[in-house]
Amino acid sequence: MSGTATRLVVLVPVVAALLGLLVARRADVRAARLLAVGAAVLAVLFALAEVVGVHGSSGARTVSSIPALAAGELRIPLQLQATTATATIALVVAVVGWAVQVFAGWYLKDDDRYGIFAATVSLFTAAMLLVVQSADLVLTLVGWEVMGWCSYLLIGHWSRKETARRAALKAFLVTRLADVGFVLGVVILAAGAGSTAYRRVVQSWAGTGCNDAGACTGPSTTLLNAAMVLLVIGILGKSGMVPFHDWLPDAMEGPTPASALIHAATMVAAGTFVLAQLFDVLAAADGARWLLALSTAVTMVYAAVLAFGQSDLKRLLAYSTLSQVALMLSALAVAPADDGPGAGVLHLYSHAFFKALLFLAIGWLSVTVGGTAAATMRGGVRGHLFIRPAMFVGLLSLAGVPPLVGFVSKEHVLDAAEAGIGAGEARAWLVLLAGLLTVALTAAYCMRAWIVLDDLGSADIERHDADTATVGVRTAVTVLTVLTVVGGLVVVTPLLDLGGHIGWLVALLSILLIVGAGLAVRSVAAGKDPAVRVVGARMPSFDAGLGVDRLYVALVARPVLALAHLVVFLDREVVDAYVRGAAAATRFGGTGGQRAHRGEVAASGLAWVVAGVVAVALAGVALW
Amino acid sequence: MVILVSLVVPAAVAVWLLTGGRGVSHRTANLLASAASVVTLAGVLFAVITRPTVDRAWVPSLGLRWQLAVDGISAPLLLLTAILGVGVVLHTLDRPPQGGTTAAFHACLLLVEFGALATFYARDAVLFFVAFELVLVPMWVLITRFGDPHDAAARADAGGRFVLYTAFGSTLMLVGILALVAKAGTSDLDVLAQGGGHGIPVGTQTLVAALLVAGLAVKVPVFPVHTWLPPAHTTAPTAGSVLLAAVLLKMGTYGLVRLPLASLPEGFAHVAPVLAVLGAVGILWGGLACLVERDLKRLVAYSSVAHMGFVVLGLSSGTRTGLQAALFANVAHGVVSALLFVVVGGLKERWGSADLETARAALREVTPRLGFALVVGLAASLGLPGLAGFWGEFLSVYAAWSPAADRPEGLFRALAVVGALGTVLAAAYALRVLRTVWAGERTAPRIEDSRDSEWDVIAVLVLAVLLLGIAPGPLLALTDDTVSTIIGAAP
Repeated sequence: MSGTATRLVVLVPVVAALLGLLVARRADVRAARLLAVGAAVLAVLFALAEVVGVHGSSGARTVSSIPALAAGELRIPLQLQATTATATIALVVAVVGWAVQVFAGWYLKDDDRYGIFAATVSLFTAAMLLVVQSADLVLTLVGWEVMGWCSYLLIGHWSRKETARRAALKAFLVTRLADVGFVLGVVILAAGAGSTAYRRVVQSWAGTGCNDAGACTGPSTTLLNAAMVLLVIGILGKSGMVPFHDWLPDAMEGPTPASALIHAATMVAAGTFVLAQLFDVLAAADGARWLLALSTAVTMVYAAVLAFGQSDLKRLLAYSTLSQVALMLSALAVAPADDGPGAGVLHLYSHAFFKALLFLAIGWLSVTVGGTAAATMRGGVRGHLFIRPAMFVGLLSLAGVPPLVGFVSKEHVLDAAEAGIGAGEARAWLVLLAGLLTVALTAAYCMRAWIVLDDLGSADIERHDADTATVGVRTAVTVLTVLTVVGGLVVVTPLLDLGGHIGWLVALLSILLIVGAGLAVRSVAAGKDPAVRVVGARMPSFDAGLGVDRLYVALVARPVLALAHLVVFLDREVVDAYVRGAAAATRFGGTGGQRAHRGEVAASGLAWVVAGVVAVALAGVALW
Repeated sequence: MVILVSLVVPAAVAVWLLTGGRGVSHRTANLLASAASVVTLAGVLFAVITRPTVDRAWVPSLGLRWQLAVDGISAPLLLLTAILGVGVVLHTLDRPPQGGTTAAFHACLLLVEFGALATFYARDAVLFFVAFELVLVPMWVLITRFGDPHDAAARADAGGRFVLYTAFGSTLMLVGILALVAKAGTSDLDVLAQGGGHGIPVGTQTLVAALLVAGLAVKVPVFPVHTWLPPAHTTAPTAGSVLLAAVLLKMGTYGLVRLPLASLPEGFAHVAPVLAVLGAVGILWGGLACLVERDLKRLVAYSSVAHMGFVVLGLSSGTRTGLQAALFANVAHGVVSALLFVVVGGLKERWGSADLETARAALREVTPRLGFALVVGLAASLGLPGLAGFWGEFLSVYAAWSPAADRPEGLFRALAVVGALGTVLAAAYALRVLRTVWAGERTAPRIEDSRDSEWDVIAVLVLAVLLLGIAPGPLLALTDDTVSTIIGAAP
């Protein structure tokens, strides 16, 4: 039962995407919309069935997908798995996917390419569901890359805009460059295990199931570290961690539903789940954990600072995603091996809800006010019956105010860092300090966003009355709001396997930080956008992400292009020169021979032929 | 019997078109060629399923035999050739060839198909060579007579270069084949593979393997003997480009598997590291050239060099995974490059040139079908999972990382890293093309979208790319047994 549901959860959106392509070009979008939303609802139902089904059975179950591949020595069983954690996260992804599809049906109702968009979103969701439920490194890689490609299509959806085209290209190339690490990591892990099944990979690399330590010829730690460092590099790229972070804010060029999907439950968070699957291997790779800790610690603070100074609220949310994803990944970098990856996965779960909520709310608002710039959105939520509470709850949750879901998960992450300190790991200090700093900074930019959206300007009731949002949109936003409020209750259910708990001392400290930062921002504001007061004239450079884009161009793009020009030159002037030279030499020889022949008697020509025959014969004999 | 049908029918029709039927109209010629290629496809299908053999004496005094059969390695390539054979004829339906009679054009297409099928059927090294060479002449005619109508000098240069370059390679191969046959005492490829080079001193094995590899490398093509490919592709008519990329290049890799790899495993083991390095260099070289290449057709040709680099890398690793990867990537490249050449060739026809620097209407805006096909083709070309290109390249990188025991591990691991980096270059040039050609706001000058026979061919190729990507299992299973035999036979 749960096996079928597991397969269908992935299959239904894939089929919807393929069928969606067929109806995408019809002028009447109803078929495309029905297909997309219908499939999303089905996926949610199947995911629910899976959660129920898995709950009854104990332990992990592998579910076959397509038959194993005959790839010589390497075994590629291509299986899916159904565990409580995968089923729960799959449900979360399906719910967010549904909300996004519903929202996109309204948001892009006048777009002439809505059909393609909806089909791509379906495929994107399917790819994420595949990553979540995969029990095989290759299936993970498949989902991982397909997500990247879909993100390219979604970010570049409005391809008539040059900025969108560039953002799409940048997003794909930056993540693809990092994916070299992912692919090589997968290759090394699979080569060590002789199989791509997670179970066997973890067995052979983490040395579990080995009773006698002496009898186990464990894999070399260097190779283990190399594999995991490479894998982590791939994940840093996809998740937008420093130094690969700059693609994500630019990705805001895509339509808002796409941003909601990419940021909330899929691509950027996918790495957390992949690492959670491989947590036992990761725990043994100290180097990879250090890399992860360093990058996430830097990213969470840096992105939170930049978020505060953005002149565009959608980009503020983009930077907040970076900061929050860094938080969830940092849990994996520091959690003690015995505690497991639960804290990171919990933050993935909670972030999916509140970030989807925030993006849909801001997208909805942008339609009514006509833009996402802070200046345009001033006082935008005032008096709006749906967006105002949604935004309020979303921002509070992002800031980590109890008892919302964001608070619960963030405290689990901080507790994981605390436990890591307890286990004597230096990098846990780094993560804990960066985490606490991030808590304060997050509260600051959330407060700023709220002040801009609610305090400044007055309510425009007429505008709210003209709101065309459908019942579906209202339902989707309401569902996400409710989940953001009560989602934290998941910790008292057995749905997610949590190793830790909330550390009350750290919790108290972070609440104090939140309140302090919020009050400070409020006092700075005094009737204006706090960011304008604090950041002031430096805002354009905040908007430009401190010029990292230029760095990418100067350090990577230009040298590669210069090399490419060199290659083309060499190809023409060196490699091909021999060929042309051979042709010229032959012609020259031919002309010479012709000259030599003039006025010769036939006999000497014959002699040459005989000489040639002898030469060939000699060569043949020599080789025989 | 079916083997003979699938060989005789295209050959006979081609000969008739060249002699008695020179004056027939385009429609008649096309109908005839279509019928011939469909019968051929049916014959090949039947042969792949029933696996018959043909064995007749040819030159008894030399021990040469007409020996034809189908096994796991040739079956996918036979199918590919036969399917594309139908495809190119169908594609010609709406575009009467320029530069010569339509009968000659169709005859050339059929002759190329005939030669390629014979190459893949052949179980005798000399017969293999003869069939291998047979393809050159009709292909030369396609390039020099029916190629790019704008530039006669370029046609002559490209055609001459193609023939002379590959004939030069073939000469090396012929010497290699003759030496191999003389040393092993048989020209039967099966017996050669079973013998695995036993009784031949390692030094001689290495020398002969090097000759064979060098000769076949021209056809594949492997860096640095690839420079005939871009001009040939640029000037060839679309049908010719498709056959060139999807069928002719495959003959090179097929030869590499049959001759040095299967017959002289020990010798090949010594040559393999060099071949692998050249393959890896080709991956980077082709990828980098694509980043700045201005001509879209040349760009796709250079991308072929990069893709064949993966095939060669897989072949050289000496493992079953590597060979499976190479064979899969080989077929995948055939389908993907066929798709790309149909699309790009169609664009060149419409645009009048294939220059990327000229501002044109964005395909996404004016020709959604061609745009879609281009997106699928380029996505497959960059190795996107779910499309044909992924499996071969991933497995090839894997195989390079864990090569056979007698290969230098450190070197091959470095090459695996190079191969993985090559996929980024593929992504970069694919997106470069999409950004300049597919996405944009310009809608002028308008061009016509794909329809009728061109669209049918594109649709079938898109489906094939999807099928190979979503369900790689059947193709891998098809080659699995033979691959185990070949690698298992190695000492």
